[in-house]
Amino acid sequence: MMNTFAKRFEKKPIGLRGTQGAVTEDDQITDAAWGSEAGFGNLVKGTHSFNVPAVPDPTAFLRMHTDDHADPNCRIKIQHGTTTLAFRYKGGVIVAVDSRATAGSYVASGTVRKVIEINPYLLGTMAGGAADCQYWETYLGMQCRLHELRNKERISVAAASKYLSNLVYSYKGMGLSMGTMICGWDKTGPAVFYVDSDGTRLKGDLFSVGSGSTFAYGVLDQGYRWDLSDEEAQELGRRSIYAAGHRDAFSGNSCNLYHVKVDGWVYLGNYDISQMHYEGPGDVPGSTGKGYGYDVRTGHRFSVAAEAVTA
Amino acid sequence: MASADGGAYRQAESLFMQIDISQGTTSLGIKASNGIVIATEKKSSSILIDDSMLDKVAVICPNIGIVYSGMGPDFRVLVNRARKSAQAYWKIYGEYPPTRVLTQEIATVMQEATQSGGVRPYGVSLLVAGWDINRGPTLYQVDPSGSFWAWKASSIGKNMVNAKTFLEKRYNDDISLEDAIHTALLTLKEGFEGQMTEKTIEIGVVTVPTPAELEAQRVGAETGRPKPTFRKLSEEEVRDYLAL
Amino acid sequence: MQYNGGSIVAMVGKDCVAIASDLRLGSQALTVATNFEKIFPVQDRLYLGLTGLASDVATLRERFRFLTNAYTMKESRAITPSAFAHLVSSTLYERRFGPYFIEPVIAGLEFHPAPEGEGKGTWRPYIAGADLIGCLNFAKDFIVAGTAADKLFGVAEGLWEPDMEAEDLFETISQTLMNAVDRDAYSGWGAVVHVITKDKVVTRTLKSRMD
Repeated sequence: MMNTFAKRFEKKPIGLRGTQGAVTEDDQITDAAWGSEAGFGNLVKGTHSFNVPAVPDPTAFLRMHTDDHADPNCRIKIQHGTTTLAFRYKGGVIVAVDSRATAGSYVASGTVRKVIEINPYLLGTMAGGAADCQYWETYLGMQCRLHELRNKERISVAAASKYLSNLVYSYKGMGLSMGTMICGWDKTGPAVFYVDSDGTRLKGDLFSVGSGSTFAYGVLDQGYRWDLSDEEAQELGRRSIYAAGHRDAFSGNSCNLYHVKVDGWVYLGNYDISQMHYEGPGDVPGSTGKGYGYDVRTGHRFSVAAEAVTA
Repeated sequence: MASADGGAYRQAESLFMQIDISQGTTSLGIKASNGIVIATEKKSSSILIDDSMLDKVAVICPNIGIVYSGMGPDFRVLVNRARKSAQAYWKIYGEYPPTRVLTQEIATVMQEATQSGGVRPYGVSLLVAGWDINRGPTLYQVDPSGSFWAWKASSIGKNMVNAKTFLEKRYNDDISLEDAIHTALLTLKEGFEGQMTEKTIEIGVVTVPTPAELEAQRVGAETGRPKPTFRKLSEEEVRDYLAL
Repeated sequence: MQYNGGSIVAMVGKDCVAIASDLRLGSQALTVATNFEKIFPVQDRLYLGLTGLASDVATLRERFRFLTNAYTMKESRAITPSAFAHLVSSTLYERRFGPYFIEPVIAGLEFHPAPEGEGKGTWRPYIAGADLIGCLNFAKDFIVAGTAADKLFGVAEGLWEPDMEAEDLFETISQTLMNAVDRDAYSGWGAVVHVITKDKVVTRTLKSRMD
C-alpha cells in the first residue's frame, strides 16, 4: 500500500540520451555538458549529454519559454533574421553572411559573426538559433579532428555535414533551430552542404539561408556561373548580401566574406552595407568602384540639396 | 413648399416684422473700443408675475451672449440650439466658437425654418455679442429670415427705428464700455413705458481679456470653463448704473 | 502597427519646432519603398505626422486636408495647432471601436497676441501626440511615435535640452532619429526633417543608413 502511494510521486524515466530519471550527484559530474567542466572533463566516455528539466514533457516545457510567437516577452530569444549564402564555383567556395541580430524589431547587434570557423578548411554558417549553431558546429570541429587523428586523413565535407545532420536529427522535435551550410574543399573539390535542424541535408552548388535569402538568391542567380573568376565571385557574394541587407528589415549592418580555396579558407573582410549602398565596397578585387544603389533608392535627394520653404 | 412669389420667405418677413413691432420690446447692442454692451427692457403683462424667472439676455458660451426681441418661447429654443452647437464645437476643437461661426450656426437654424415644411419661422430677432481671438469683440444681428449682419450699434424690436436714430447721433468709434453702457440705458429710456429699474432692464457685457487673462484661459480650456469674456450684469450692478 | 513600419519624432526648440520621420515603407520584413513620406503640411507653420498602417496614413492625410480646408473656409482663418490637435483627437475617437491604425504627431507654432499697442505678438512652439483613438499628449519637450518609439524615447531623453536654436534643434532631432532607427528593424532607409521657425520652414532630406 505504502509502496504504491510512493510510486505515484516517483519521477518517471524520460527517454532522453544520457538522463535516466532523477539526476544524481554522480550523474552530474560524469554526464554534465563538457563545456561547463572548466577543462577537467573528458570525452572518453563518448558523447556528452544535457540536463533535462524534471517535468513530464521537457520539450513542451522548453517551448513554453522559447516560443516568442505565443509570447513576445519570453525569456529565451532565438535569433530569426539573417542572410547567409555560400556557393561553389571553379575557384572554390564563397561564403558571405550579414551581421545583424534582432530580438523582435530591436536590432540587438550589428557585429555578429555568423560564419563559424570549424577548422582551417571547414566553414559553417549560422542561421536560426545562434547558440545551437555555435555549439554544434564547434562540437563538429572536435569530431572532425578526431576523425583526422583516427584516419590520418582530413574528413570530407560530405562526412562532416552528415555527422552534423545525424546529430541534429537525434534531437529532432526538441527545439533545436539551425539552418547552416557546411563549406570546404576536399578530395572531390569545393563542396557545399545545406544542413538544418529538421534533419535535411542537401548537396548543392548554391545556397542561401535566412529571412533575407530570397533577396540574396535574386542577385546570386542572376550573376552565378561555374567559371566565375575569384574577383567576380567575391563581388557576387558581397553584392548579394548587400541586396538582402537593403531589402530585408532583419538583415544588414555589414557583410563578412570568406573564400575557401584548395588549402583552406581565407577571410576577405568586413564590408559595411550602407557604405556599399552609397560608395561601394571600397578598393577591393571585383569592385566596380560605384555604390550599389544610391541614386535609384533615394531619388537623387540628400542633405546637400537642402530646400528652404518660406512660410 | 414655397410658392412662385416666394411664399415662405414672404411669410417670415410679413408675419414677424409685425410680431417684432407689435409684441416685441426694445433690445440694443453697442460695440465699444474695449468691449460690447447688449441691453433690453423686460415687460411682464401682469404685476403678479415673478419676473426674476425671466431671462432675456442669455449666455451661450463663455465668450458669447445673445439678447432677443420677439417671441420668448422661440428664443428659448434657439438658446438651446446655440448652446448645444457651442459645446459641439468645443468638443471637436477644444475651444469655443468665434462669434461669427456661432452666429452663422444660429442663422442657419433660423433659415431652415423658412424653407421647411410643417414648421413656421422663428419669431425673434437676435443680437449676438461675443469676443474671439481673431476678430476681437463683434456684434451681430440675426433676423427671422436667417440673414445676419455685423453692427457697431443696433437695435431691434418695438422702438428699433427711434432707437437706431438715437444711437446714430450718440455713437462714435472710440467710446468706452462704461460710456456705451450709459448710452445703452439712455437709448432704452427713450420711449420706455413705466419705471426703468434693475427688474425691468437686463444688461450683458463683453470684455476684452488682457494677455494675462488669455493665458489663464488656456488652463480653463481643459475643462471647457475658461474665465468668461461675456457676462450678465447682476441686479446690483444694473441698479448702480441706473443710479448714475 | 508593425506591418508597414516607420517612425516620427517632434521636438521643441527656442521659438522653433522640428518634426522628422524616416522614409521606409515596408510589408513586414520586406522593404518596399524608401521614399514614403509620413509628414504633411497642414498650414504654413503647422505639420502633421502619421505613423502606422500606410493605407490609414494616406486616408487620414486626405481626411485632415478635407477637414482643415472646410474649417479655413467656414471660419475664414487658419486653424491653430491646438484646435487642430483637438480636431485630430475627435476624428480618431469617432472610430473608437474600429480605429485607424496610426499614431499622429503634431508640430507647429501657435500665435499668441501681444497686448494692445505692443506689437503683433509671438509665435510659440506647440507639439502634441496621440494614440490611435485620440488620447492627446501635450509634451513640452518631444513626442515620439512609430515602431522605433521606444528607441526614440531613449535617444531623445539623452540628447534633448531646452531652448535650442533652430540649427541645434536640427542637429539634435536628426541624430535622435537616425540613431534610433538604426536600432529598429522596421524604420530607417532615409529621413526627412522639417524645422519650423516664425519666418520659414526648412526641409532637409538626410543621408542615412539604407539597411
